[in-house]
Amino acid sequence: MDGLPLLTSILLCPVIGLGLIVLIPGGAARAVRWVSLLSALAATVMSIQLWRGYDAVTGGLQFVERLPWVEAVGISYHLGVDGFGTILVMLNSIVYLTGVLTMWDLTERVKGFFGFMLLLVVGVYGVFMAQDLFFFFFFYEVAVVPMYPLILIWGSGNRDYAAMKLMLFLLAGSALLFPALLAIYHSAGLGTFDMVLLSQHRFDTDVQIFLYPLIYLGFGVLAGMFPVHGWSPTGHVAAPSAVSMLHAGVLMKLGAFGILSVGIRLLPQGAAHWAPTFTVLAAIGIVYGAFVAIRQTDFKFVIGFSSVSHMGIVLLGLNLAALGQAGEDALNGAVFQMFAHGIMTALFFSTVGFIYDRAHSKTIADFGGLGAQMPRAVSIFIVAGLCGAGLPGLASFWAELLVFLAALKTYPLVGVVVIVGLVLTAVYILRVFRDAFFGEANPRWQSLVGLDMAGWQLLPRAILVGVLLFFGFFPRFLLDVIDSTTTSVLARFWMQ
Amino acid sequence: MDTTTLILATTFAPFAGFVIAILFLHRSPQLAQVVVTTSAAVALGGAVQLWLNGPAEPLRYLWFTSGAIDLYFGFLLDGLNLMFGVAVALITLCVIVYSIGYMADDPSKTRYFALLAFFEWAMLSFVYAVDLLQSFIFWELVGLASFFLIGFWYQKPSAAEAARKAFLMTRIGDVGLLIGVLLVMMTAGHFDIPGLLDPDVGLVTRLAPATLTAITLLIFVGIVGKSAQFPLHTWLPDAMEGPTPVSALLHSATMVAAGVFLMARLYPLFLAAETTRSVILVVATITALLAATMAMVDRDIKKVLAYSSISQLGFMLMALAAGSLFAGVFHLITHALFKALLFLCSGLFIHHFATNDLEQIGRSGGRGMRLTTIGLLIGGGALAGVPPLSGFFSKEEIFAALGHGGGSAFTIAAFAAAFLTAYYTFRMIFLVTVPDRIEPHTADDHHEGSAEPWTMALPVVVLSLGAALAGGWGDKIAAALGVEISHHSIGDMLPAIGVVAAGVVLAWLDFGRGDRAGFLTRIPALQSLFSNGWHIDEIYRAVFVRITGWVATLLHGMEVKGLDGGFDRFGVGILGAGSGSRRVQSGWVQFYGGCAVVVVGAIAFYVGMGG
Repeated sequence: MDGLPLLTSILLCPVIGLGLIVLIPGGAARAVRWVSLLSALAATVMSIQLWRGYDAVTGGLQFVERLPWVEAVGISYHLGVDGFGTILVMLNSIVYLTGVLTMWDLTERVKGFFGFMLLLVVGVYGVFMAQDLFFFFFFYEVAVVPMYPLILIWGSGNRDYAAMKLMLFLLAGSALLFPALLAIYHSAGLGTFDMVLLSQHRFDTDVQIFLYPLIYLGFGVLAGMFPVHGWSPTGHVAAPSAVSMLHAGVLMKLGAFGILSVGIRLLPQGAAHWAPTFTVLAAIGIVYGAFVAIRQTDFKFVIGFSSVSHMGIVLLGLNLAALGQAGEDALNGAVFQMFAHGIMTALFFSTVGFIYDRAHSKTIADFGGLGAQMPRAVSIFIVAGLCGAGLPGLASFWAELLVFLAALKTYPLVGVVVIVGLVLTAVYILRVFRDAFFGEANPRWQSLVGLDMAGWQLLPRAILVGVLLFFGFFPRFLLDVIDSTTTSVLARFWMQ
Repeated sequence: MDTTTLILATTFAPFAGFVIAILFLHRSPQLAQVVVTTSAAVALGGAVQLWLNGPAEPLRYLWFTSGAIDLYFGFLLDGLNLMFGVAVALITLCVIVYSIGYMADDPSKTRYFALLAFFEWAMLSFVYAVDLLQSFIFWELVGLASFFLIGFWYQKPSAAEAARKAFLMTRIGDVGLLIGVLLVMMTAGHFDIPGLLDPDVGLVTRLAPATLTAITLLIFVGIVGKSAQFPLHTWLPDAMEGPTPVSALLHSATMVAAGVFLMARLYPLFLAAETTRSVILVVATITALLAATMAMVDRDIKKVLAYSSISQLGFMLMALAAGSLFAGVFHLITHALFKALLFLCSGLFIHHFATNDLEQIGRSGGRGMRLTTIGLLIGGGALAGVPPLSGFFSKEEIFAALGHGGGSAFTIAAFAAAFLTAYYTFRMIFLVTVPDRIEPHTADDHHEGSAEPWTMALPVVVLSLGAALAGGWGDKIAAALGVEISHHSIGDMLPAIGVVAAGVVLAWLDFGRGDRAGFLTRIPALQSLFSNGWHIDEIYRAVFVRITGWVATLLHGMEVKGLDGGFDRFGVGILGAGSGSRRVQSGWVQFYGGCAVVVVGAIAFYVGMGG
């Protein structure tokens, strides 16, 4: 790949993979799998290279590529990553790789599945790299659209309903976004979609205040923002494992990333103006999601609502960042949580998917004592659960710690409320442990004894557990990269 | 060896043992046992050597930086830490060796030993921590280890439930602790423990009294959870669902000790916060008395010991609250030794007679197990405060401390609690050792195999020596803490001796002649109140558990019927409006149609705006 810029190379991995998959005859499932895996591996290796290559001391936008495209309206193929983009590209690669491995055993319409999945991955990479508003939105839609067929065709349970609901919600979000993005383009009057140039423009305060909520809500839908989160648990439940992994692991981060790189970066005053309101909504979301998760009877619904709760921490951090008092901790925590939550939910869904494939049930009450029958799968689920509960040693801890600290500094009451929410998280996680995994072994699942994770099936889960532990013990490797960008993003608030 | 190597070996040897065992030794439990025992021995060797070397400069390694936070991972090597590190390492090694015998037949031995190593690593890293956030992190990991060990036999529903309860109730305390720790960060700007305690630039001089009170109270909330104080004490009696050696560890030098240790660690802050200390004194006194009453009536040997732990932890906190760091830490250490001993002895009985029931053990011939009975007498004597065993001296220091800084009401309460302690401890001893008058020997006492294999006997001997002799270590402990102590004359000690004697005599009158019913059986109301734990758990179930459930149900209903349902009805309405064309459209077409409309509309908008 000599000569090709790194970001385009990463982006090309799933594109080439997709191209090959289209050419491969539908019957050759094996070839489809291997193409997907190799493309994922290549992308992962290059993402790690990106992460190691990103200069955290200098910070700012790096690995920039720029090709004018439609010069008349100022659209260019402009890629580049800052610290946030770098780690999120890495997140996407990890979820992509482990997602392919998780779905290795798929037999139904393999070609179509991996095709759509790779398309989704292309879109996600694109959003994290794009520095041009047009491409940003283009990639955003490319990422969102494949969810519909993926759930409708390969999903389970109430999949028609889930797919339709998801699409309606996300289209509604896009309907808010599209005019807002065009309005940004026009009110800047620069005749360019270039986000770097736009971010240097100072938008009129009234325009910012008018446009910011559109951006926040539009992207917030995808981020699982309370109270427009309804599509997300339903979607998680109906989707096949790898799609849930990508969906909760990466796609929801697109929403938060959109708020960050379009909302906060371009409209800082709007963000600061609306931050108190959205802070309260985010805090409600954290507690609300946890409470609702307590009452769920289905594994995936518990995880789905826990995602609403955990993404609330990201949104809370973003809003606190806009308020300034503890901006650096808040933003560091929010981005760290995007990464940590991505890996954690991927692990959750990968493992639940495994159990579901074996037992064909994801109703918690059906199980009990599963720990004796599938010790490995259960142990891995427990790691994910403990990460969700914010246990130190696993990546989420640092993210939550930083956001909580910022919350206490900015709004002590909000801080106390969300920290108390930790108890609720422990309640629903421990309930799943006790009801499904501990207790007397249910003879109904005795047949599963020999079917526990083995050999390569452990691989994707081991990778995810390894990542959670690694950044749980060595948060520096992530934080240094994040922090380099946080400072420059926050400087936007002082400039204005 | 230099200090750095030593401390790294001490803390990371158990970690290495854990990692090796859990990853590689699932099929060779014998090897796992060897690896973990070796790692614990290394840790003990390192801790002892560090202690002999004496206090050293703290070691700090930058963990990460974010905004204003610089977090260090490191080791604080002052007298308190070095001394308690030895206690932790010693007791853990005893428990691990004992477990070789106790858990010989368990199919999940590897998991068990790996968890013990993890537990030791977490506790040692907590004890030596130089940074308050590091303390918090390992405090949580100690809790996690307890969760897994209490629920070790997770297939027993009661064990699974006990583990959950322990985790949740300590978690409630941890919320307070976390807020307290973050407040420290916000006010001091760092987490460095020596810096926070510094008399010139530390928190005490920098903070307004109200802030200091708030911080120390919040930290105390964490201690209440961890050290099982009223009202968060109810998890500890249930925690005996874990294997007995785990209880020995949990009740002595690790889990519950962490709370008291944290207060000792941050003592200058508490010393400066009058209000906080008054609160602690009240809570600790209530706990010491309340738990003692529960221990008077239970028939389960492990539960009696568990209640006694709660009560004794109350004693330690009373001493600390009354202003004596020395008395609190002294009792923490003697208690660690004699409580570990008592649990190991109870484990021997349970292992041999397969029952937790005091009367059943007595009937089966408990005193036939000579070594165990001697251990029980020494440990029980120390717990009751019989001179010259260790507990007597440390408790005597507590009375003295309360006399100085606690006020007479609390001193009297402490004497009352000590009286009850002597009573319930000797009730336990008599029930086990004195033959039943009515049915002396029912069960066969000739079980297969040795009742006291050497792996289980050796730790009992070591801890018996410790429990018997630790009373003489007062000077060393005071020196390690850097405090002056005054020696008490025999005359000063008389009240304490009298109280203990009264308790022992009452126990003898009730149980010493083979009777099985104490005076409380004649007061059924009290008997039932005590044996139901003052109904505290039932109150929790009726109030907090139910309220949480209600709110969850309410919000769940709101989600399904209101919020989400509302969107659904909205969506159905929209779809209904388009039902005429719906027959010819699959979802796909509709979807693409939607996309197309949006795109075309956007382009039109864009062109219309004159771009």
